[in-house]
Amino acid sequence: MIIRVENLTKVYDTGAIQVKALSNVSLSIERKEYVAIMGASGSGKSTLMNILGCLDRLTDGKYILDNVDVSTLSDNELAVIRNKKIGFVFQAFNLLPRLSALGNVELPMVYAGLSKSDRRQKAKAALEKVGLGDRMHHRPNELSGGQKQRVAIARALVNDPAIILADEPTGNLDTKSSEEIMNIFEGLNNEGVTIVMVTHERDIAQHTKRAVVFRDGEIISDKQIENRIIRGGSSK
Amino acid sequence: MNMAESFISALQSVKANKMRSFLTMLGIIIGISSVITIVSIGQGGKEAIMGEFDNLGTNVINVNVKSLEGGIEDRDYLTLKDAQLVKDKIPEVVAVVPAAGAMGYMKTEKEKKFSEIDCITHEFNKLMKVEMLAGRFLSEGDVEAARNVIVIDEITAKKLFKGPEDAVGQRIKVTINDNNTNFTIIGVSENAGGSMAAMFGDNYPGTGYVPITIRERIMPNVQISLFSVLLENMDNANEVAAKIVRLLEQSHRNEGKYAAEEGFKELDMLNNVINIFTMVIGAIAGISLVVGGIGVMNIMLVSVTERTREIGIRKALGAKNKDILLQFLTESLILCLIGGIIGMSLGITLGIVVGKIINIPLRISPLVILLAVGFSSAVGIFFGLYPANKAAKLDPIEALRYE
Ligand SMILES: Nc1ncnc2c1ncn2[C@@H]1O[C@H](COP(=O)(O)OP(=O)(O)OP(=O)(O)O)[C@@H](O)[C@H]1O
Ligand SMILES: [Mg+2]
Repeated sequence: MIIRVENLTKVYDTGAIQVKALSNVSLSIERKEYVAIMGASGSGKSTLMNILGCLDRLTDGKYILDNVDVSTLSDNELAVIRNKKIGFVFQAFNLLPRLSALGNVELPMVYAGLSKSDRRQKAKAALEKVGLGDRMHHRPNELSGGQKQRVAIARALVNDPAIILADEPTGNLDTKSSEEIMNIFEGLNNEGVTIVMVTHERDIAQHTKRAVVFRDGEIISDKQIENRIIRGGSSK
Repeated sequence: MNMAESFISALQSVKANKMRSFLTMLGIIIGISSVITIVSIGQGGKEAIMGEFDNLGTNVINVNVKSLEGGIEDRDYLTLKDAQLVKDKIPEVVAVVPAAGAMGYMKTEKEKKFSEIDCITHEFNKLMKVEMLAGRFLSEGDVEAARNVIVIDEITAKKLFKGPEDAVGQRIKVTINDNNTNFTIIGVSENAGGSMAAMFGDNYPGTGYVPITIRERIMPNVQISLFSVLLENMDNANEVAAKIVRLLEQSHRNEGKYAAEEGFKELDMLNNVINIFTMVIGAIAGISLVVGGIGVMNIMLVSVTERTREIGIRKALGAKNKDILLQFLTESLILCLIGGIIGMSLGITLGIVVGKIINIPLRISPLVILLAVGFSSAVGIFFGLYPANKAAKLDPIEALRYE
């Protein structure tokens, strides 16, 4: 079991009012799973992802990531966890505009302390894996949305994380690019990468193996996906 | 990320905003360049002025005959016996050089030169170094035997003869108040007036040194009014000075007629004035450096705000607080360091130009480079710390959400 969340509660304290974004959420995710997190806007999906990604701290409950109780760790220790165990893919891509595709993919390895040549080599391999071998030296503003997201996926992969967390990775993409991203995810999952992905869209969720649905900060359904869409090209 | 890499990456982000970086550096550039210009000119000026006095010895007390109470009578004037007495009785005294001087002419058949004639002893060059261009200085023998020998200086040698080499061995007549004496030139020294003499050229009076023992022959109306006393050191100069005065008073049976003071007090004062001047202007330049530093802090704060999202992304990818701190600190350091280096080059150039204009040889010590690099780094770190710390402490989620 890679993720175990027990009675997770998250309250945003905005001073005047307290917003309970998650209440009593319990969830377990096994290695090699491919999970879609669904639910209406404001139901707490991003809040959960931020906590799973160790970007935010929980208010109450327990979170065990890869057998480590994350809720007790210091800021520095959380930074190391984010670096080594987690790969983020964001809806807004979040690439650094001044760096090339290669530079962006190298970034997590910079903080992991890898040497320049190791970084280069691994970043190249990761970019080739997402089909951007010919765009390595392009800056983000020279890439299409789909290409940017593929750079982000390469960046998420490059430190061999225990889990990839993607918050609406196709939210800013057209159908064709979305399909490409889904193909990449499916390929990765087939290779054994654990993926948790937030999505609004039913047909995107249809690519995953399991759907967890939220409403008002609580899980209202959690079941295996039937009739999965499996694209011939990527499930080899 | 190692040091070299973070430097390169900081350099890149400085380069990404060329105009802004330059404007930010401007304060540092002005600060550092003015510090360096002023320090170099101050140092150069000081050394130029001190150079004039370079030949002076330092462990010297001057004993003067004072004309305060009741005027000076003949019996109050100093004598060669007094000189011997002071040297014999006071162990701290290394040498006593009695001196008497008058203005007059040095003449050959065809030419004459208005000059100061100083009656001194062979030990005069223990007080101040007399550089000889030809021949020799007065010897003990010259003084003891009261020989009619003279050491003239360069301008006189040039005026009266073909030059220093030619002058040695020649005979001249010295006229002081219608009193004529013939002398043999034994040596030619550098101009006593130093660069002052060079500035005034031919019109500057010459100088001739003759043995004190022939004073009565050549300037009978001029008494010995000064002893320059050379001491081993100045540790208890005041006590020794008092002892000398007491000894002279006993010998002359008078009181309040002699004053003894450090030989080169004026020099110390001049030195202090230049130092204070340099310090004051240096402080003003230092203030502009602080103002420059505040400019750097301001821009770094803007930069942190602009790059909040970048900070969030870096943190999401595993950057620790200290990584972010170092990143921004390196940037402000680089900014100030580049400013410092530009300022240093500008300051040196400006110093050379200004030095040329006001005719002061520039003195650029390697310390200046250290100063520039040190000061600008210090400013960079000091004023970069607050913005960098602010960046480092950002909450990753809030930073990521920043629009
Ligand atoms: N920083 C915050 N401060 C206060 N309240 C917040 C904050 N972030 C989220 N919330 C609140 O928490 C609740 C859950 O928000 P969350 O972003 O997790 O929703 P979501 O499911 O991701 O929605 P969407 O599909 O629109 O992205 C919402 O009511 C939101 O207003
Ligand atoms: Mg969301």
